[in-house]
Amino acid sequence: MLARIAHELYWLGRNLARAEFTARAAEAVFHSELQGASDSRPGVSFGSGGLMAMLGDVDEGSSSIEALGQITLDPEHPGSMLASIERAREGARTVRDVISAEMWEAINTTTLRLRGGSQPGWTAPSGPYMASQYVKERTALIWGVANRTMLRDEAKYFLDAGGLIEVSDMVLRMLRVALPPGDSTAADGHALILLQAVGGFHAYLRAVTAPPNAHPVARFLLFERAYPDSVAACVDSLHEVFTRADAGPRNSKPVLRVSRLAADLDFQRRALPEGAELTGICEQAQQELARIDQDVAERYFAGAASAGDRR
Amino acid sequence: MSSGVETPAVAQYRPQAPFLDELFEADGTPRPTALALIEELGRLGPEGLMDAGRRRDAIFMQQGITFETSSVSGASHERPFPLDLVPRVLNGEEWRAIKRGLAQRIRALNHFVDDVYHAREIVREGIVPWRLVASCSHFARAVHGIRPPGGVYTHVAGCDLVRHSDGTWKVIEDNVRIPSGISYVLENRAAMARLVPELFASYRVRRVDHYPQLLLGALRSVAPSAESEATVVVWTPGPANPAYFEHAFLARQMGVELVEASDLVVRDDVLYMRTTRGLERAHAVYRRIDDDFVDPLEFRPDSLLGVPGLLRAYRAGSVAIANALGTGVADDKAIYCFVPDMIRFYLGEEPILENVRTYLLSDPEMLEHVLGRLEELVVKPTGESGGKGVMIGPHASEVEIERMRRRITADPERWIAQDVVRLSTVPTVGADGVLAPRHVDLRPFAVFGERIDIVPGGLTRVALEEGSLIVNSSRGGGSKDTWVLEDGDDADRAGPPIADTQPPALPDLRYGAWVGQQQQQQQQQNRESD
Amino acid sequence: MHFAIRFLTEYHYKAPVTDNLNALRVRPATTSTQRCDEFHTRIEPEARVSRYLDYFGTEVLEFGIPSAHDHLTIDVRARVVTSAPPEPPDGSWESLRSSSYVDAAGEFALPWQDQPPIPGLEDLDAALEADSPLETLELLCELVPERFEYRPGATYVGSTVEHLLEVGAGVCQDFAHLSLVLLRRRGIAARYVSGYLWAAPQEEGENSVEVDTHAWLEALLPGTDGHGEPVWVSADPTNRRLTGETHVKIGHGRFYADVPPVKGLYLGGAASELSAAVTMSRLDPQASARA
Repeated sequence: MLARIAHELYWLGRNLARAEFTARAAEAVFHSELQGASDSRPGVSFGSGGLMAMLGDVDEGSSSIEALGQITLDPEHPGSMLASIERAREGARTVRDVISAEMWEAINTTTLRLRGGSQPGWTAPSGPYMASQYVKERTALIWGVANRTMLRDEAKYFLDAGGLIEVSDMVLRMLRVALPPGDSTAADGHALILLQAVGGFHAYLRAVTAPPNAHPVARFLLFERAYPDSVAACVDSLHEVFTRADAGPRNSKPVLRVSRLAADLDFQRRALPEGAELTGICEQAQQELARIDQDVAERYFAGAASAGDRR
Repeated sequence: MSSGVETPAVAQYRPQAPFLDELFEADGTPRPTALALIEELGRLGPEGLMDAGRRRDAIFMQQGITFETSSVSGASHERPFPLDLVPRVLNGEEWRAIKRGLAQRIRALNHFVDDVYHAREIVREGIVPWRLVASCSHFARAVHGIRPPGGVYTHVAGCDLVRHSDGTWKVIEDNVRIPSGISYVLENRAAMARLVPELFASYRVRRVDHYPQLLLGALRSVAPSAESEATVVVWTPGPANPAYFEHAFLARQMGVELVEASDLVVRDDVLYMRTTRGLERAHAVYRRIDDDFVDPLEFRPDSLLGVPGLLRAYRAGSVAIANALGTGVADDKAIYCFVPDMIRFYLGEEPILENVRTYLLSDPEMLEHVLGRLEELVVKPTGESGGKGVMIGPHASEVEIERMRRRITADPERWIAQDVVRLSTVPTVGADGVLAPRHVDLRPFAVFGERIDIVPGGLTRVALEEGSLIVNSSRGGGSKDTWVLEDGDDADRAGPPIADTQPPALPDLRYGAWVGQQQQQQQQQNRESD
Repeated sequence: MHFAIRFLTEYHYKAPVTDNLNALRVRPATTSTQRCDEFHTRIEPEARVSRYLDYFGTEVLEFGIPSAHDHLTIDVRARVVTSAPPEPPDGSWESLRSSSYVDAAGEFALPWQDQPPIPGLEDLDAALEADSPLETLELLCELVPERFEYRPGATYVGSTVEHLLEVGAGVCQDFAHLSLVLLRRRGIAARYVSGYLWAAPQEEGENSVEVDTHAWLEALLPGTDGHGEPVWVSADPTNRRLTGETHVKIGHGRFYADVPPVKGLYLGGAASELSAAVTMSRLDPQASARA
């Protein structure tokens, strides 16, 4: 398929995933900041400030409500939920003949509604919250439609690959911002906010018997293969997807690099002692993902200077 | 400071003397803690409140947070849970006093249950007559002599409190069998945050969503196994039970299995669950099923909701049951009269929270006295809960009073009488969006595992009808979110939050611009200009 | 008197059943007038039997058979020695209100089955007027078998006292329940007793007889002339007398359901056929002379 089209699909996947992640995280932070601090000590720090830091913008002056407003509905803020959805729509319009009509409609409708401002109640103080809920629902729908109606060919693989890389990058960003630095076992308080930000609360409870404290939650989000949004699970799926999309996977740099990252994560999962420090691993994994992104651009998108580009 | 307060929603609000209103002074001015809240409510206005109410109903129906009511014709239908949007506000100091009083009371009740099924010292000392204990419908002879792990019987306790017109808090009823309502506390808070987040703006409200973790921790700590390996389950009678929503909710929030009787079996005095991998042991059971139905071999033989042999496993100490079997002996309304004595006897302390004055009708003198004043008193059957069979003298008709007189005379042991308490009121949204005072009570929830933890606030139940004092949801009551405010002085908060760290320098976000074409053109151009 | 008692129960199930859980209350108690010397249990299919004393002090044997089986045999043997009870005390009606009586009576004086009032009970009650509780007890042992026919099948194990009065006939369990109601109405504490009764064999020279488990009662009588502790006195209205050495007590409770000989449950829809036999044998040789 055309390199350009593959590139668009890849970025469509990334933008959809970024919008969804932003929506979930904003919702969680909104709830969390509305009320007082928890009775039990938190082991991570993740609020509207942290969310802003994740999305590249540390505006010291904003209040929590302002920050959430920017992260969700500010069209001028390139990292906002609305901006990601707009970019997704642009991309989807370009690849309309490759994705199904249903998918295009779903994305288009979402964008138009989100732009609206005509939604009753969205201008109310709970606006960012309600918009996030809406985006959460709609992205689930869009992926659902993609999984049901798209042929499982190269197009789908690149769409999926974009989503997978973005999710793992977002999770790693979140962990790097939220986890206390260094090997501070003293701060093993609860980390519910992280689970709520990704929607992994129930999965965690079913997978892990330990209470949801910082260390077990971080390990869960990094290594738990049975949880689809963990970094390890995404990297595994990424490997599968590229192996299928690639004409010659044995010699493919991105495939090999992904494979090595998967092996590293697996090794760390087994070898790391209980309370070991995880922020270093998060940083390394994020750097590897950046290199993978670069490899992907070089191999499949005709070496476009898209790597590292910024708008 | 009346500018924000003159809107129809709040302008005409007048507390009803002699009742204490929790948000307004007697002259109609807002109390200092409530000022910001009242102003915000004024800004919302009747339209805003009614609109939020509609959204609430839609959300609750969608999420299945409903309860069954039966209409006059007998047909039952689901209604969205009646959450009133005006919260009740308590400050930190008030709450601390309530907490200490509750913890003391629960400890005493726990001692009592242990004593009743073992040495009976409080009976030997002549404080509580044995006949009273033995005639409690929930006195379980089958658990005589059994001591559960940790000596804890009342793992979950909900002692209902009311605030009298003189401002004092009194306990009106103890519930230590299977107190329910915590799921509404959690869902109410979540709903309020969604529907009217602006109300929270000027306040720091203490969270309540750690309850499931508290409960899970308590269950794990009493389970007869290594704490990390304990399998905990929630045992429900099934979807037909009116409180099923809560059973499922708690199981989900704790991440444990929700089981029914057919999922359980006892072999060799050990309790197991039937799973796809065969029998798996269950170490701790949070049971939401009445004692009578728990084991057809020991209790009601016709119970299809029970597990035969469960009592054997319990006696053998191979399973922890919360709340313990037989705790109902402590929440009998006749036993309630003795709780202050229990506190003195077991703890050597004076009760922090008072009882409502109660008259035991098994005493002939009391009976005389009460029969002469029926129209002034509240009469309750000792063995019931949920407001069933209660007569409120001042609100009852002559016919009802006569009927009660006959019932009591025929069987005095089955009734108690209490002074009417002047329940406090809190502004409540009426059908037209205007606020009016309605009576409330409070059910805080306590978890007793290794120590007693009480969730800030609890379920405020409100009588939705004007002047009514009956708050039970099964009899037309609703509920409110209960706010306990943070103050700087909370010694029991778990230490300072972790210091605000500088987030590490993250790589910039990528946006994937496609510039391939441009580059190629440039190259071409360069070539040409060579 | 020395007895050997064999309690043999066999269940046959039409189809195999599992998770068969049973609780037995069959062991003769050890009291001031009775001593159980030996006691053996055999269960087939084999099962581990555990023992404990229940709330009323009755020994309970529990066992369970998890795996599939189509028959169950419960074979219990005991040896017991009984002696004649002492003369019952003859205290006054006033003593029933003394604190020592109320303490000793405990829950056994609580009203039972008195709401709603049972038709016909007033008449019976009127016939029990007497000068002392002991006399009333003795009258009771005459009155009940007078007015009611002993007829198995007229009532069933769950019958109430009201049912007994309607039908006019019943078995020892019903007579005992009725007696409890009548005694408690008058403030006399009373409890239900389950046990074995030795009935002299029909044929000369035989010293073994088949019996059913029997039900009678114990009434708490105040000490004579207000002296002495209240005493539990056994009475058997079915057999028109206070009890003697021929009664072997298993245990007591408030009513039948507190002390059933066998209680069990199994998993499986199959019906069961039961054959049960309790055999009592005299062990002292002089026995056959007495009737």
